[in-house]
Amino acid sequence: MDRDELIKHLLEKFPEKIELLETGRAEPFFLLKNKDDLVAFCESIKTDENLDIDYLCNIGAVDTGERFEVVYDVASVKKHIRFDFKLRFEYEGAEIDSVQKVWPAANWYEREMWELYGINIRDHGNLKRFLLPDDWDQGHPMRKNWDAPDFVRMPEVE
Amino acid sequence: MGLIKKIPVYLERLPGGGILTTSLDWVFDQSRASSLWYLLFGTACCAIELMATGASRYDFDRLGMIFRASPRQADLIIAAGTITKKMAPRLRLLYDQMAEPRYVIAMGGCTVGGGPFYYDSYAVEKGIDHIVPVDVYIPGCPPRPESLLEGCITLQKKVKKEKIKDWS
Repeated sequence: MDRDELIKHLLEKFPEKIELLETGRAEPFFLLKNKDDLVAFCESIKTDENLDIDYLCNIGAVDTGERFEVVYDVASVKKHIRFDFKLRFEYEGAEIDSVQKVWPAANWYEREMWELYGINIRDHGNLKRFLLPDDWDQGHPMRKNWDAPDFVRMPEVE
Repeated sequence: MGLIKKIPVYLERLPGGGILTTSLDWVFDQSRASSLWYLLFGTACCAIELMATGASRYDFDRLGMIFRASPRQADLIIAAGTITKKMAPRLRLLYDQMAEPRYVIAMGGCTVGGGPFYYDSYAVEKGIDHIVPVDVYIPGCPPRPESLLEGCITLQKKVKKEKIKDWS
């Protein structure tokens, strides 16, 4: 399945749920419009015979300064498919479902996301300190508005 | 240390005792400065330069410096590389485990004052002098082996100036 076939297949299978984003990259990039569809979407791309997405490469969170975005990078080893999709949601009540029951590899990515961005993960089961020091009490350092007494921002350079 | 600290106090009351004290100082200082065994504590790219300095081309051994893998056997800790806030308590623990007299060399920009991680970093300790007392700072990112050797010679000069009666 090449790039165009993959895009066509996904847009036909989930007509209301996703849309294609133009990025100029080789892998297609989709926007999943509603974050509540996440687990159902992941399950159906995993069980789809033509897609057979069996590998979660990466989960990344982005703080754009206005809202959060969470990017899922998935692939099929058997079918040689790779594509990304992302969610957008507001700071207020930042919370998404865990995709561990689809891909168990999500566990550490979601812990990291919870720790560094403060995005709560529903049904994770193991939300513990991961990368930061054990006695860390200064909040979520990867947020744009984060601050600490010894934190120095890069000055604006003209 | 308790007994040896009293030696100059009693010796200096004897005629000619001052000469003996300074000779003792000289013996101790020479032997310390000529065998500064350092603890291997490489946490980033500075460790590569430290290894290069320890290898045959620059030959740390000619200063009497041999690496030790245990803080109990080390006189000197060369903090080579970025010290993160998570690593800081471990560095302090290793320093506390070393026997006195103990010295610290801060090697590279990160340990001197945060270096390239000074801005926009939540994870890096901005200078290890917040954690342990530092004797010699070596700037550079990473410093060349020549700079490290110069720093070690500077430390040797400092060690050679010590007196028994100043021991703590």
